[in-house]
Amino acid sequence: MSTTKNVTLPDIGDSDQVEVIEVLIAVGDHVEENDSIITLENDKATMEIPAPFSGTVKSVEVTVGEKISKDSLIITLDGTEDSPSEESYSTNAGTEAAEESAATSNIIEVVVPDIGDIDQVEVIEILSAVGDDISKEQSIITLESDKASMEIPSPLAGKITKIPLSVGDKVSVGDLILSLEAKSENANTAKATIVESTPTIIDATEQEPIKIVDEVISVATSPESHASPSIRKLARELGVDLSNIKGNGQKGRILSADLKDYVKQIISGSGPIEDGVEVVPLSRIKKLSGKHLAKCWSEIPHVTQFDSVNIEQMEEFRTHQKARGVKLSPLVFIMRAVVQVLKQHPHFNASLDESGENLLVKQYYNLGIAMDTPDGLIVPVIRDVGKKSLIELADELTEVSTRARESGLSKAEMQGAGFTISSLGGIGGTQFTPIINSPEVAILGVSRTQIMPVWNGDAFIPTATLPLALSYDHRVIDGVQGAKFMADLNQVLKNIMEILL
Amino acid sequence: MTHTQVLVIGSGPGGYTAAFRAADLGKEVTLIERHDNLGGVCLNVGCIPSKALLHTAEVINEAKTAEHLGVHFEAPSIDIDGVRKNKTDIVTKLTGGIKALAKARKVNVIAGYAQFISTNQVSIEGGDEVIEFEDCIIAAGSQVTKIPSFPFEDDRVMDSTDALELSDIPKRLLVVGGGIIGLEMATVYEALGSEITIVELAEQLIPSADKDIVSPLFKRIKKSYENIYLNTKVTKMEASKKGIKVDFEGKGAPETDTFDKVLVSVGRSPNGALIGADKAGILVDERGFITTDRQMKTNVEHIYAVGDVVGQPMLAHKAVHEAKVAAEVICGHKSGFDALTIPSVAYTDPEVAWTGKTEKELKAEGISYKKGVFPWAASGRSLSIGRSEGVTKGLFDSTNGKILGMGICGTNAGELIAEATLAIEMGCDMSDIALTVHAHPTLSETTAFAAEMAEGTITDLMPPRKRK
Repeated sequence: MSTTKNVTLPDIGDSDQVEVIEVLIAVGDHVEENDSIITLENDKATMEIPAPFSGTVKSVEVTVGEKISKDSLIITLDGTEDSPSEESYSTNAGTEAAEESAATSNIIEVVVPDIGDIDQVEVIEILSAVGDDISKEQSIITLESDKASMEIPSPLAGKITKIPLSVGDKVSVGDLILSLEAKSENANTAKATIVESTPTIIDATEQEPIKIVDEVISVATSPESHASPSIRKLARELGVDLSNIKGNGQKGRILSADLKDYVKQIISGSGPIEDGVEVVPLSRIKKLSGKHLAKCWSEIPHVTQFDSVNIEQMEEFRTHQKARGVKLSPLVFIMRAVVQVLKQHPHFNASLDESGENLLVKQYYNLGIAMDTPDGLIVPVIRDVGKKSLIELADELTEVSTRARESGLSKAEMQGAGFTISSLGGIGGTQFTPIINSPEVAILGVSRTQIMPVWNGDAFIPTATLPLALSYDHRVIDGVQGAKFMADLNQVLKNIMEILL
Repeated sequence: MTHTQVLVIGSGPGGYTAAFRAADLGKEVTLIERHDNLGGVCLNVGCIPSKALLHTAEVINEAKTAEHLGVHFEAPSIDIDGVRKNKTDIVTKLTGGIKALAKARKVNVIAGYAQFISTNQVSIEGGDEVIEFEDCIIAAGSQVTKIPSFPFEDDRVMDSTDALELSDIPKRLLVVGGGIIGLEMATVYEALGSEITIVELAEQLIPSADKDIVSPLFKRIKKSYENIYLNTKVTKMEASKKGIKVDFEGKGAPETDTFDKVLVSVGRSPNGALIGADKAGILVDERGFITTDRQMKTNVEHIYAVGDVVGQPMLAHKAVHEAKVAAEVICGHKSGFDALTIPSVAYTDPEVAWTGKTEKELKAEGISYKKGVFPWAASGRSLSIGRSEGVTKGLFDSTNGKILGMGICGTNAGELIAEATLAIEMGCDMSDIALTVHAHPTLSETTAFAAEMAEGTITDLMPPRKRK
């Protein structure tokens, strides 16, 4: 028994008033399920709408040039299957067909690709959000195993509809990363595995989706380069743009040797690399912090104020405590002293907002402490420094630095500081100029304590002296304020009992 | 339904080259041809038969002019069946050769008319047989453009295919369209005894070439042909008992005249719209051309097109090169069509050939150029073969002397143009050509002389005065 059913436009995503650019069937045609019936075009893509079931075309309700929207009637089909004739068939409308809907609207599920030994690997970063339009090869999440961290690229372009993961989740090969509404791109060239949500799409993948574009870009040949046909062929095969090569032949003719030398250079890096030089890729942390540091250094007008502090009192106290078995580094004293001084100079515990016109002065005292790890520099944040005892601070520092070295810290643990201290005191050096950790406005650099001769009016006394360097953002802090901050810090550290005030 | 890796539609020079190259690169290939013989227009009703007849014409004309050399031949008696047989034998030999080559390569040849029914299927002859392909190369060619109001149903109104049939030798023949095809057929029929009238819409014969290199041909045939009407339109054509009555509109042309036969050669139209391309989603423009990129890919990923169907110039040698590119790209090679020029040749007497840019094009594009013209009246070789009307013109970049184009009119111009084409591809400048030792006395010397004229280093003539 044959019944006439309506075929309407399914939900194909962002598709209000989409133009019909081609009608692929005519009245009387027999169409198979999934045969394309019309072609639609919006400003982003061209898509073919498949028949939801097989049958004979009874009527065609759209014409080329017409704009249609979701649920617009496209054709009526004399179906070959038994179903109530009054039933309106969208190619996949209706709640029961929700799963199918995902298929025709081209929802692609992106899963963790098989890129080696991935079992229960932690998601350390999610680089995109629901609703984002992402391009093919754009990184979507970062995974970190005990061996390496890796960014997973999107296998194709589209709009993210769902991200079931959150930072800290552990994933394995095949686990869902996100769902996206694909744009028309060849999914097969993707790096990551794609699992389409319904069999229809899997079917399409097996047949290899056919790429049809709206326009053929026919580039006219007008080579500026002086090269014979055989060299042009070789260049094409090597994927080289001849206009980048300087020819060494007569009258600048590009010779095969020129082309080969050029390719050798490309393969070996950006330029010719001498023997005895090893290419070492930067660690992920270095790549990230490098970018940030370059930005801070180039955008902030730095002034660095130097000072040396007499820390005899502090050293005496430390020696005394050490004898009792309590180990305290100078850093915890410095942290407390800094908080003391920040309370007097609130503009140093602040950040400049994005407009560059307002200072966001912090009411809490969180300090970033720059730390060295095998992969590079990180700056974990020690919160509410003013409320913690010296011993608590020492314990926290030890714990954080151990974790930073061994397994890594969460992003949250490295955010929210108002001021940063970078201490190289344990290593050496007389002074250095620290780079402000934007959006903060100041940073204190601490070098190694030295015994310096200090004139007390009668004689030179060997005195434990701590070299300090304060870099501040001159857009926010004037030189006088900077000098005052340093002088006050000097006072507190010199008279270490003041941290108790 | 049969399945093939590579399907080629059309077996002209583009089609058979594509099929053979793909087969040589390891593909299983099916070649579809709608006509009985392989070879397409070129071998069956184009380049080859016309050249066979043109050779006959040449022999007749040479014999005629031998009088000047002190050799007298009686007026020839023409056995038209014999002329036709020679032509047919050559065509048969060549098309048979293609067939043998196809067989040797195990190319599956299917006779029939292919129509796309989907992005990866064609039907043959109304849908009885369906062939499914992985990749397809469209080499469907072109056909004679027919003007609907002309009475083609009358045997006396011919297109180029009919004219090559040589069913008889009309007393008075009108050729509508003074392009390459019309002028070649006029050459044949004139040699066989017809009185020729040519009517051309443009202001010169072979409108795509520069006027100065067509001029020697024009001057020669103006004397021997009955009439050449330029800037003239055929407004009406009627078959009558006496002949084909044709109305003209143009200065110097009579209002009407009656001819025994008319050859309409006003161009060729691509067959892009005749193969159901829309069913495969292939873009075809309003003229019937299929657009491709430099890898000969259409807008549909796995469908390629080559030859006349992808654009001008509709020449076999262009199709052959494009066909190799398409076949190689399908086989995974990083091939691409990046020829700088495609030479054109009219096998008239004298021949007209040009390559690279014409002077008109350079002017239109605003490219500053230097010209070197060598008249063959100063060529010993040309004079020794009894001809003096030829000309070789070189066009060079005025900033660096690089060759931009060349035009030649004269005996064997079609052969001579190859040197300039290679020079363009190699990026030669006028000194490279002038300093290359050319054998003496040859017609090929004229290429070097043209370069010397541009350089001012010529000694066989007075060098042109340097214009400041």
